[in-house]
Amino acid sequence: MNTVLVGMGDYKVSRVPDALMTIGLGSCLGVCVYDQMAKVAGMAHIMLPSSRDMPQSNPLKYADTCLSIMMSEINRLGGVSSRLKAKVAGGAQMFAALGKASAMHIGEKNMDAVSEELKKYGIPILAKDVGGNVGRTITFRIETSELYIKTAKSSNGKVI
Amino acid sequence: MKDLNEMQLGALCEMGNIGAGNAATALSQLLDLKIDINVPNVRVVALESSDTWGDRGEIQVALYLKVEGEAPGKALFLTSTQSGEYIAKTLLRMDKRPDLNSDGIACSAIMEVGNILVSSFLVALTNFSGIHMQSSIPAMCIDMLGAMLQGIFLDSDEVGDTVLIIDTEFSGTSDIEGQFLFIPDGDSLDKLLGVFGL
Repeated sequence: MNTVLVGMGDYKVSRVPDALMTIGLGSCLGVCVYDQMAKVAGMAHIMLPSSRDMPQSNPLKYADTCLSIMMSEINRLGGVSSRLKAKVAGGAQMFAALGKASAMHIGEKNMDAVSEELKKYGIPILAKDVGGNVGRTITFRIETSELYIKTAKSSNGKVI
Repeated sequence: MKDLNEMQLGALCEMGNIGAGNAATALSQLLDLKIDINVPNVRVVALESSDTWGDRGEIQVALYLKVEGEAPGKALFLTSTQSGEYIAKTLLRMDKRPDLNSDGIACSAIMEVGNILVSSFLVALTNFSGIHMQSSIPAMCIDMLGAMLQGIFLDSDEVGDTVLIIDTEFSGTSDIEGQFLFIPDGDSLDKLLGVFGL
């Protein structure tokens, strides 16, 4: 089994027996889209909700541009659009004390944008672990479609 | 963030030096220990170039303060959990290192250190430049380095593609080490550089 590392503002696709991993999700969202039958999957590390005001920017950073690019790559690997499902983790507010005073709640906005985008493609979110005040490192096993989540507070983590 | 020339980077480095020098002196007096700083490293980095940040998964202590006033921005003090515990132990004259995850008083002490560091940094910069700056109260977090940094860099009304970071490393006797980051907003850069006529 190979573990394919996904950087911030990037995505990767792969097939069984690989796993996809991204380290240190804060307000960013890790979005896994997979076809369990074809055993192919993609993971995106989404930084921001919308590329609207940033036409020159890297499209892989944004929910509204990255996911469609990733989806066509998943199709190219043999994933069938109608069978695609999603699991999502991240979107935290790392500095709890800033609370509502902090700009934005970027984590929540990322989640809203990702939900909307996935809905557009008819992809259901089967499981999610989002929000809170913790960083997450996530690993998606394409073989089993399980998403393993580790945090600073629980190194054993959990599986969704 | 626009590109900066060598002279502008040098000017920002000098400002970092003035601020961090004062902050190191304050920390040294507070802990009654010798504290050294290196020459600040000024860099413009893409938000997604996570490689720059060392081990994204490493657990560190971060104190995050907003810089307010005429040249707003962000300030951040990063230290290892071990060093954070040592700072709290020294400050509170404890017998052994406290557990920052459960000891509220130790955490308050660390936050006060953040306050003093950043205030000293900004006072020196204000005195030097005539540009008034002060800091918000600190927010503290103990978590994965990468997760905390993205929380900070993306915490803006307008998030650009790159950020400018004035980065100074602290080290002291015993187990004290840390990193101080000053991240002026894009518009603040012009003001700061204006002091040098650049």
